[in-house]
Amino acid sequence: MRKAPILCVLAITCLAQQPRQRGGRRVRFDPVEAAAGHEIYNRSCTMCHGLDGAPGDRAPALGAQRRYLRATTEDIQDAIKNGIKGTNMPASPLPEADIKKLVAYIHSLRATAVDLDVPGNPAKGEQVFQAKANCAKCHMVNGRGGILGPDLSNIGAERSLAALREALTIPKPIPPRGYQPAKVTTTNNQTIEGIVKNQHNTSFQILGADEKLHLLTADQIKEITFHPKSLMPADFDKVLNPTEFQDLLAYLSRQARSRR
Amino acid sequence: MRPILAALLAIAAHAQVTYNDLLKPDPANWLHYSGQYHSQRHSPLQQVTTANVKKLTPQWIYHVDAGRRLETVPLVVDGVMYFTNPNEVYALDARTGREIWRYERQPALQKGPNRGAAVYGNRVYIGTPDAHLVALDARNGSLLWESKIAEAKEGYWSPAAPMVVKDKVIMGIAPSDHGLNGFLDAYDANTGERLWRWHAIPRPGEPNHDTWAGDSWKTGGGGTWLTGSYDPELNLLYWGTGNPAPDFDGDVRKGDNLYTECIVALDADTGKMKWYFQTTPWDVHDWDAVEIPVLVDANYKGSPRKLLVQGNRNGFYYVLDRVTGEFLHGTPFIKELNWASGLTAKGRPIRVEGVIPSLKGTKTCPATSGATNWMSPAYNPATGWFYIVAQEGCGINTKSRDTFRPGGNSYMGTGYIESPEEPWQMYIRALDLTTGKIQWEYKQINSRRYAAGLLSTAGGLIFGGDDQGFLTALDAKTGKALWSFNTGQQISAQPMTYAIDGKQYVAIANGSNVVAFALHD
Ligand code: HEC
Ligand code: HEC
Repeated sequence: MRKAPILCVLAITCLAQQPRQRGGRRVRFDPVEAAAGHEIYNRSCTMCHGLDGAPGDRAPALGAQRRYLRATTEDIQDAIKNGIKGTNMPASPLPEADIKKLVAYIHSLRATAVDLDVPGNPAKGEQVFQAKANCAKCHMVNGRGGILGPDLSNIGAERSLAALREALTIPKPIPPRGYQPAKVTTTNNQTIEGIVKNQHNTSFQILGADEKLHLLTADQIKEITFHPKSLMPADFDKVLNPTEFQDLLAYLSRQARSRR
Repeated sequence: MRPILAALLAIAAHAQVTYNDLLKPDPANWLHYSGQYHSQRHSPLQQVTTANVKKLTPQWIYHVDAGRRLETVPLVVDGVMYFTNPNEVYALDARTGREIWRYERQPALQKGPNRGAAVYGNRVYIGTPDAHLVALDARNGSLLWESKIAEAKEGYWSPAAPMVVKDKVIMGIAPSDHGLNGFLDAYDANTGERLWRWHAIPRPGEPNHDTWAGDSWKTGGGGTWLTGSYDPELNLLYWGTGNPAPDFDGDVRKGDNLYTECIVALDADTGKMKWYFQTTPWDVHDWDAVEIPVLVDANYKGSPRKLLVQGNRNGFYYVLDRVTGEFLHGTPFIKELNWASGLTAKGRPIRVEGVIPSLKGTKTCPATSGATNWMSPAYNPATGWFYIVAQEGCGINTKSRDTFRPGGNSYMGTGYIESPEEPWQMYIRALDLTTGKIQWEYKQINSRRYAAGLLSTAGGLIFGGDDQGFLTALDAKTGKALWSFNTGQQISAQPMTYAIDGKQYVAIANGSNVVAFALHD
């Protein structure tokens, strides 16, 4: 725990507020072609790229959380068919039909989770969410649950499967904007714990663990301590057994809103 | 760190809004579009007075990136402000103007305006440009549900601020000018399920269907694009309805065209109509009667009455008995009025022959933009006066035979231009509640277009604003301007007031900003 007088801490962690960017790109692909492409990829491309689209020794991951220059079917197809000039990415001798499957596979790596038929038992996953893993304590789904974490009612349509897996297993190096856990002691010696929705030298807006908003001016604050880690546990691959974990992924990946 | 449930805190924390709160809002809060159910827009807050208003200074300005001409009325709940832009909701710390969360709905269709939100429980409700009712969690802006109100592809949209009554969200619809029939809806505040719909145009077999010639009822109009009022004792909602369509060509819809341009009283539980009063039967000038119906309990000719008053776009100020809908009194609140020579004992206008749109153009006063419009009026119980934004001026109204084309195309039968002889001029006027007699007027020099509505405060002030961007405080008794501030952008919204820790704020949306004022300490 980092403890410091308020202004000094602010100098380090003061972040400009920005709206959270949500909403993944919905890409269309044929799942059968993608499955076939997966095999071709693991067979033909992994001397450079990594297995299953992971980063390799001599080439980048194809489905990572990063920006890609080539996102459209045409551009990816062109890269595979003709190679990328001036780099080690070679032109592939594979027939047109196989290249089409590879493109479908690369799309599937980058697709939001709802566009994949993620294996597992979603109903059991919901039980894990509600009970064993206690996700609902912090997350709302369709109007039920806690509010300290983001609403997950549409998470399958906003994030890729890889991103979901990552959120559950790899702790973020620093808490994302709007989710900075903090403990405040006010000048009249009250304590408020919660997450910082917004902050400035002059005021703090905190969503308390009591699920209420606490709006404080800087002169009402005696001390504020920022917790270096997000409230999101991110050790669920260890806490849950592999079946539970897969069921949870199956459940999360299917959370997508449909409009009435 | 494991968050523990915080112990009881003295620091003000944002609480749930109950129906009781909506009935009797804490004066520090502003929970409804028009302040309270009676829509008087009068606040008991009195830290800012006629004596000290000169010291009113901006406390913060919040800029909305996508904002153009915000028409939103901010709500404040225990120090948290909620306001809207089409498809967007902002939650701010109302003391500092700092953002707590924002909601941006996809697709980011910007068809506007949006006039504001409603709050209830832990929820914030808005209407959207694609005619949905959306419920958000008031604490973090999460989407809880959305319900389709009407088909956006047909041209419907929902600019009005919703109103919550008991466990229902009451929601109107726009527009009237596309030949789309209006209605008023109630939705379950918890689930978004639609509970009732009142149709503004009676369908075949329903009473008053015969006020429409032939099939003209099918494209009749009668939108409900502003927020109405509510009397909890009578359990009646009062709503104004919009113009008939096509707006300017009445030849194709002979008859009174009920219930367009009416004030209607609906049972809040069922949506059943208790009474209606039509201000302009067979209107041909686009004078929607959606202006805020203001509910006042007052003595009328010696006996206490439950009154409903409205300054109407057609130029008349109406006093009704809101229990029965009986017309009590009506008088013009503008000087330039040429289309009617007065009202009958029942409140029906006595039309001046020939003042209807024509092929070559007919001078019509007030203009179609109206003697007033969506600018909220206010009522101050201390003075007993009704305050209204008034436009003096005439239009040249023309007609042509139009064809209804589905899909959100305008169906107006032509339109109007500003009369070159009588340029428009804006005023703020104080009217005696029961007689409508003008007590004073404040001329907004060089202002010709609609701008801000009005706010009355127990400090003896009327806040208003103009199209040149000034927010102005007038003495409610004399109409004398005591303070003015140039906000730098045209104002098109209604001012409101709230308090935090005993400090009174006055806030208004102006152009792409929201700005809050308080006394300089
Ligand atoms: C000899 C090593 C090598 C092989 C084999 C290889 N690649 Fe690449 N590939 C690369 C390198 C290096 C890059 C990065 C080029 C750059 O600098 O942008 C790349 C880039 C790509 C990109 C572009 C990613 C982007 O930026 O959008 C795609 C798509 C791609 N490879 C697909 C494939 C496929 C499919 C195969 C198998 C058919 C394959 N690659 C085989 C080395 C290789
Ligand atoms: C103690 C509170 C807490 C618990 C318990 C918790 N989370 Fe979270 N979670 C958070 C917070 C806070 C964030 C946002 C900050 C972050 O990403 O670290 C978050 C982020 C996430 C995200 C990323 C959301 C996005 O928009 O990318 C996912 C997915 C998620 N949680 C899923 C879960 C699941 C599934 C569980 C249960 C297995 C769970 N969380 C349990 C607090 C919690």
